[in-house]
Amino acid sequence: MSEAVNTNENAYALEMRSVSKRFPGTLAVDQVDFAVRAGEVHALVGENGAGKSTLMKMLAGLYSDYTGEIYIDGKLCELHSPSLAKEHGVGMIFQELSLARRISIYENLLVGRLPKKNALFIDKKEAVRQASELLERVGLGKQDPTKEVSEISQCDAQLTEIAKVLGSNPSIIVMDEPTSALSSEEVKRLFAIIDSLKKQGLAIIYISHHLQEIFEVADNITVMRDGKKVGTYPVEETSTEHLIEKMVGKSVNEFYAEHTAEIGEELLTVKDFTRWGFFHHVDFTVHRGEVLAIVGLAGSGRTEIGRSLVGADPLDQGTVVLDGKEVSFKDMTQAVNGGIGYLTEDRKVAGLAITQSVTDNILVTIIDQLSKGASYYPKKHLGVVNKKIEELSIYPPEPARLVNNLSGGNQQKVLMAKWLATAVDVLVLDEPTRGVDIGAKQIIHQAVLDYAARGNGVILLSSDLPEVVGLCDRAIILREGYIVGEIQKHEINENTLLMAANGEGRHVS
Amino acid sequence: MTTKEQQATAPGIKQDSRRTDISKTSLFINRAGAYFIVAILLVIGLIIAQGRFVSIDNIRSILNAVSLTGMACAGLAFVVYSANFNDMSLPMTMALSGMMAVQLIPFGIVVSVVGGIAAGTLVGVVNGILIGKFRANPIIWTLAFNMVLSGIVRVAWGGSQIYPDTVAGDSEFAQQAAVQFNSFARTYFFDGALPLMVVVMIVLFVFAYFMMTRTRFGNKLKMVGSNYEAARLSGVNCAKTVILAYVLCSLCAAIAGIFYTSMTKIGAYSNGEGYDFDCLTAVLLGGMTLAGGKGNIVGVFGGVLVVGMLKNIMTLIGISTFSQYLVTGVVFLIVVWINTSSERKLGRA
Repeated sequence: MSEAVNTNENAYALEMRSVSKRFPGTLAVDQVDFAVRAGEVHALVGENGAGKSTLMKMLAGLYSDYTGEIYIDGKLCELHSPSLAKEHGVGMIFQELSLARRISIYENLLVGRLPKKNALFIDKKEAVRQASELLERVGLGKQDPTKEVSEISQCDAQLTEIAKVLGSNPSIIVMDEPTSALSSEEVKRLFAIIDSLKKQGLAIIYISHHLQEIFEVADNITVMRDGKKVGTYPVEETSTEHLIEKMVGKSVNEFYAEHTAEIGEELLTVKDFTRWGFFHHVDFTVHRGEVLAIVGLAGSGRTEIGRSLVGADPLDQGTVVLDGKEVSFKDMTQAVNGGIGYLTEDRKVAGLAITQSVTDNILVTIIDQLSKGASYYPKKHLGVVNKKIEELSIYPPEPARLVNNLSGGNQQKVLMAKWLATAVDVLVLDEPTRGVDIGAKQIIHQAVLDYAARGNGVILLSSDLPEVVGLCDRAIILREGYIVGEIQKHEINENTLLMAANGEGRHVS
Repeated sequence: MTTKEQQATAPGIKQDSRRTDISKTSLFINRAGAYFIVAILLVIGLIIAQGRFVSIDNIRSILNAVSLTGMACAGLAFVVYSANFNDMSLPMTMALSGMMAVQLIPFGIVVSVVGGIAAGTLVGVVNGILIGKFRANPIIWTLAFNMVLSGIVRVAWGGSQIYPDTVAGDSEFAQQAAVQFNSFARTYFFDGALPLMVVVMIVLFVFAYFMMTRTRFGNKLKMVGSNYEAARLSGVNCAKTVILAYVLCSLCAAIAGIFYTSMTKIGAYSNGEGYDFDCLTAVLLGGMTLAGGKGNIVGVFGGVLVVGMLKNIMTLIGISTFSQYLVTGVVFLIVVWINTSSERKLGRA
């Protein structure tokens, strides 16, 4: 693929030749060729888990055991540590800012290499001068470098971050979702800067889920899927539809079980749901037996809606009617008792106590149902646990086993089991199958459909589009905290979802 | 397992790459470590102190020495288990309850004991609300509260020590109460073989064991201590659970404080000094971890025995009190080091 455009090998600022990276049980990056010229903005796109971040982490020197060759400016390099990568001129800008908020801009920019007057003192004048030069390059020439980072805007901080990376004189800059916290005006400013960096001869690799932005800023686009490179396309020869088709690949619908649930009466109605800055005036209804998906890009407010619904996060306004009664939950205890459960997105951080047994983890949601008095002994309720272990084929089927000693897929099943053990009517599932193997995924999906078929409602928050297509009966599309559309069952496929979530024009509030 | 792993090699499926096996030494240290050290100390004691170590007198003296630490540890275990590290206000809780009890002696022995325990428990209520409900930093808050309490105690009693018989004055009734109060730490059953303090310690440990394993509170505490966020998002009332942990901690510390005061016959603000770290050493030696959610009461009891025996052996072979501080300090550091490094091997610290 790259051979076709490869006229002069020396012109590549970066060339990765058949690089691979294996994690236990999976090939995250599989024989990928990837090349970027100096003075080019090259976008890297793909669905979650396609291998984009692994490829970039390889470039950042985070793995010492990749295979394949990486050439920078035509020279073969071994990027086995972050400092080696930096030496070779790779600059990384991650989604989260790495600036220290309480110290000045110039100290942030020149961290580790502040100019010194003598053995004891820092030459502040020189430092400010050097910092101003760097800021100039990102269009912040007027900014006072002695200000604290906390005093400047989010956009300026993002640009300062770029200036910081420029300080180490990179020839390649990787930007991972740099616009996620910026407004549309600020995005324009960022793009102007990217354009000027490009003219200065830097190679820029740009990662984003916002396809629209990519068309504005990139020269070439490389699509990845399942750890492999699908292709590289000059931006003028492709379109959003074409890219989405390449990203999604063949449909995997046959993998999903049939829906058997009868959609019944209204179960949960949410009106004017608002948490300022996260989601605004959101209305939706879930019926008995229905799986409703809320689809949106990262940062669209998906998870936040789920968390506010169960009282785990604050809420500014809105009403929730559950089974005909208006409810409002201040914390998860009230939510679980009131009939809504929430399966959290990160099982290790907020889902399971991994150093405790399967029994303890499954029963934690129902301790108060199992016993009304002070006395409670989990071993008395092994029946409940064994039933769930069987239902979800948790392997090995040992209630006393520590969750830590289960595979990722089985851990996720335990997380699912602890919510299925409750009597809640509505279950919010936030990324219910992230990072699990196909087998576990199938079992969890079947469990979700069975749960809905018993007359319960499910709200699915997932960035795994095949999963959304396979499971949900209806999808509402969320963009930057606003609902922008709704797609019915027969229209749902990955293309329509991606198109809708990307949309035309950024929503300006 | 193999079939699962084969399935997982399907393209594009990410697999969990973290190690799932637990280091055997870490497990051993967590499970039986304390009793292993007890056995070693027993052998050392037998060799070094020859006949003296297993004499009835010495065993009783070990038990007496461990019982105060033990009472406080039975409670402190709840705080450590809840992942709140340590109750730094333990010393003043003991001092306050002892002084309160002495001050109330004129109203009779029952009022004295109940009042002393209530005062100490109140400390736990405040700690629990601040840390459980308002999420104050557990170390900073309890350390600061310890100082505040110490100030209050010094101001209230003018910086002086109080003696049960002096406080009682001339009243016959009060004098009798003072005598009863002082006799607590000197009561023995079975012809002097079994001190009351030991009985109370064992009762508190049995109580703590049941609270930990057989109640809703204990099982919720396990989840709160292992993963606060997961417990909260599973509908566990974390604030209530943490508050109860601190209340139990202070309750036990208050009981220990009253026995301490009875033993020394002096109510003083310095009564509980050093108990914060002595007790934490014992709890950690017993297999609990600073990360919380691990260990059990049986292990903690072993940890208490280790600390008691260590001190006893040091006294028997004639190490001075000052050097004993050094030794217990070093033991504490080593225990914390082993503790965190075994945690790190489990990928948790």
